[in-house]
Amino acid sequence: MSERQPLLEVRDLDVAFRVNKQDVPAVRGANLTVHPGQTVAIVGESGSGKSTMAHAIIGLLPGTGHVTGGEILFEGKDIATARKKDIVALRGASIGLVPQDPMSNLNPMWRVGSQIKESLKANGIASGKVADRRVVELLEEAGLPEAQRRARQFPHEFSGGMRQRALIAMGLAARPKLLIADEPTSALDVTVQKQILDHLDTLTDELGVAVLLITHDLGLAAERADHLVVMYKGRIVESGPALEILQDPHHPYTQRLVASAPSLASQRLSSLEHRAEVREQAQRSAVQVAAVGDEAGAPPDDVITVQNLSKVFRLPGSSPFRKTDFLAVDDVSFSLRRGTTTAIVGESGSGKSTVARMVLGLLEPTSGTVTFDGVDVSDIGSRADKLALRRRMQPVFQNPYASLDPMYSVYRSIEEPLRTHDIGSSKEREARVRDLLEKVSLPASVMRRFPNELSGGQRQRVAIARALALEPEVVICDEAVSALDVLVQAQILTLLNDLQAELGLSYLFITHDLAVVRQIADDVLVMQNGKVVEAAPVETVFESPREDYTRALLDAIPGGSIPLGVVEAGDDLPRRGLDD
Amino acid sequence: MWWYVAKRLLQTIPVLLGATFIIYALVFLRPGDPIVGLFGDKPVNAATRAAIEAQYNLDQPFIVQWLLFLKDAIVFDFGQSYSGRSVNDLLAATFPTTIKLALMALVLELVLGVLAGTLAGLRKGKLFDSTMLVVSLVVIAVPIFVFGFVMQLFFGVKWDLVPPTVGANDSFKNLLLPATVLGLISFAYVLRLTRSAVAENLLADHVRTARAKGMSEGTVVRRHVLRNSLIPVITYLGTDLGALMAGAVVTEGIFNVNGVGGLAYDAIRTGESPTVVSVVTVMVLVYVVTSLLVDLLYAVLDPRIRYA
Repeated sequence: MSERQPLLEVRDLDVAFRVNKQDVPAVRGANLTVHPGQTVAIVGESGSGKSTMAHAIIGLLPGTGHVTGGEILFEGKDIATARKKDIVALRGASIGLVPQDPMSNLNPMWRVGSQIKESLKANGIASGKVADRRVVELLEEAGLPEAQRRARQFPHEFSGGMRQRALIAMGLAARPKLLIADEPTSALDVTVQKQILDHLDTLTDELGVAVLLITHDLGLAAERADHLVVMYKGRIVESGPALEILQDPHHPYTQRLVASAPSLASQRLSSLEHRAEVREQAQRSAVQVAAVGDEAGAPPDDVITVQNLSKVFRLPGSSPFRKTDFLAVDDVSFSLRRGTTTAIVGESGSGKSTVARMVLGLLEPTSGTVTFDGVDVSDIGSRADKLALRRRMQPVFQNPYASLDPMYSVYRSIEEPLRTHDIGSSKEREARVRDLLEKVSLPASVMRRFPNELSGGQRQRVAIARALALEPEVVICDEAVSALDVLVQAQILTLLNDLQAELGLSYLFITHDLAVVRQIADDVLVMQNGKVVEAAPVETVFESPREDYTRALLDAIPGGSIPLGVVEAGDDLPRRGLDD
Repeated sequence: MWWYVAKRLLQTIPVLLGATFIIYALVFLRPGDPIVGLFGDKPVNAATRAAIEAQYNLDQPFIVQWLLFLKDAIVFDFGQSYSGRSVNDLLAATFPTTIKLALMALVLELVLGVLAGTLAGLRKGKLFDSTMLVVSLVVIAVPIFVFGFVMQLFFGVKWDLVPPTVGANDSFKNLLLPATVLGLISFAYVLRLTRSAVAENLLADHVRTARAKGMSEGTVVRRHVLRNSLIPVITYLGTDLGALMAGAVVTEGIFNVNGVGGLAYDAIRTGESPTVVSVVTVMVLVYVVTSLLVDLLYAVLDPRIRYA
């Protein structure tokens, strides 16, 4: 490190939130140094205090948050105790912020250009016509095409990636010396994420801006930052040069993090071998399960077959009485072999969730057929048969916060499908719920709790238990691990693998994240704009992708290019444990 | 946009048909004979009765009466009241005063409500906020005629700041006190709506982003909190203008304002169905037009809303 004065120096920082007249610490004794032009990444899971630290540095702690000890020195001056006026003067001009969620961080009421202009005006850089011209330059610099026209548009006319570019233009408008990028791309598709981060890298290099990158993704942090800081439960547990931490983690938490980062795990061959074992076991169990239910001979190998499935949505057009057709799913065919996992991968808008909803029978296909165990689903007429089909096919959705009724106890949530299908007496149902909770590795004591008393990972386990209540043969996971922290994500994937082997389940696994695919899938379908662009076994997709689009998706996995080799030892993924 | 306006105006046709039909049905079902009412204690001779029934189509079935009313109402001819006065003249004499009163109440509640609500929202949980919440609760809880009489007594009679009653002269100064009373309850609602919207918007991500740009707190509140908070208030005020006009009956009674509320009240009491139906028709029109204006105002305030 250079002998120059550090740009930012955080010393023994304590931050707390006041809850019921008591200080609940969120950051404890944190130390951090950022030199001019350097990129430092803070890595941690949600609740680790990484965002709180970032907000403390720019003086924007939410609600009751306040600094209770230590100091934050920016160019040698303590801003933790500075007057409000001095902090306002620092914001924008010296410390810029690129916030997390591009959807909520632009005011929907004002044109994008005028929101960037505000930054120029507030910091006394330019005003009037000069500022308007500067706004266009800034947007061009952030990589937005047709900046002149775009500046006159409103945020809702922008895609997520375009909004994030506008926010980057905003953060850099007053040419700060330090840019705090708080999960700047976590809400974006992987390919867009890569473009934006590449651009941000180039830009901050050119301008010599120091970057404090906040992220939950270890792979991404290692790829983008010179220096890593790992936070866990409000403390900094490890810090040092990025590669060193990745290849030789000391703290147990960092070791677990390195072991389960999906972007890194996806390169490991061992996960492939493990997967093969799971598949073999699952296929054996599946044949047994199917044989019991079906006495009329051997069941078909493919539990679900989808043929030429299409879905057209009719959207209101430009003039009255006219509707335009939008082809959301275009001639999709695939089959799901019993006891295996087929992953459907694609960016938002690729039609992957629409396929899942049609397979589940929640959405009527425009054309094409879905066959379940040799029977065309659309031919099933009677209510009883439909119920029976539902029993054999269950969904797990993305957001465990939204898919569990907050007014239902865990017991009631899991018991509900049993009750709907009139299964067992109330005693038997209770025994079944206990059994299910055990299967998903939750203690029976959570039965009386409510969703808000559980962590994200625990909720997703409850959702899985609910899906398994009816002993389905197929589970459709729609982005089932996308909303979870990496460690929890790894645990849930392990759980899904174990359950598959044990119960012979078949999974249709919908995801935008190719990184997790290798740990769970056997066959992969890559979708783009409603079409299947590539369908192949998982090894083929990863080793020798045929399509450019698949290759772009693979390249975009953060951290994919980082040399590993040392962490093979940390490969024994946490098995069946309670998260948190 | 123009297609949207046309569509909305077309929608008023079934609304007006439905509203007048319901009113006609209610007046028809009302017990009592309006012709007997006209003659007071004197007996009605059969020939006169027949003449009057023919003049007002009372001898026709109720559906036909309604259709005949519609035929004239299309060209804004509301016919004559039973007492022989042109309903159009009655409306012309009273509507302007009521509109003036309602608009004054609207401006008062909007300006004061948004101002107090914003301050309360910014100081959530502090003394000003708690005071405002208690004040608004009292205003909502106490019946409006209590405020009417109390304010009339103090401002009008004891301190002689404004005339206690309005009478024939509907000047700005004369209407100030009734307008205040009329707008009082809505003021409380506007205050509460603004307060919660401001308090919520203060926590929005884009407000934090605006602060991170280095903008001063005042600018942040003006540009990024207030405008976003006005949408629920506008929604409320749109339906409120209609309610203010209809709800003016009590206030107009207390302050002796020669408005449409008094007209409707008297007409209902004496069974003057032509007047009642006409007043309601115009009220419905006002309602429909103001709610259309509010929806168009949305699009001005919130660029995400585009009508097609």
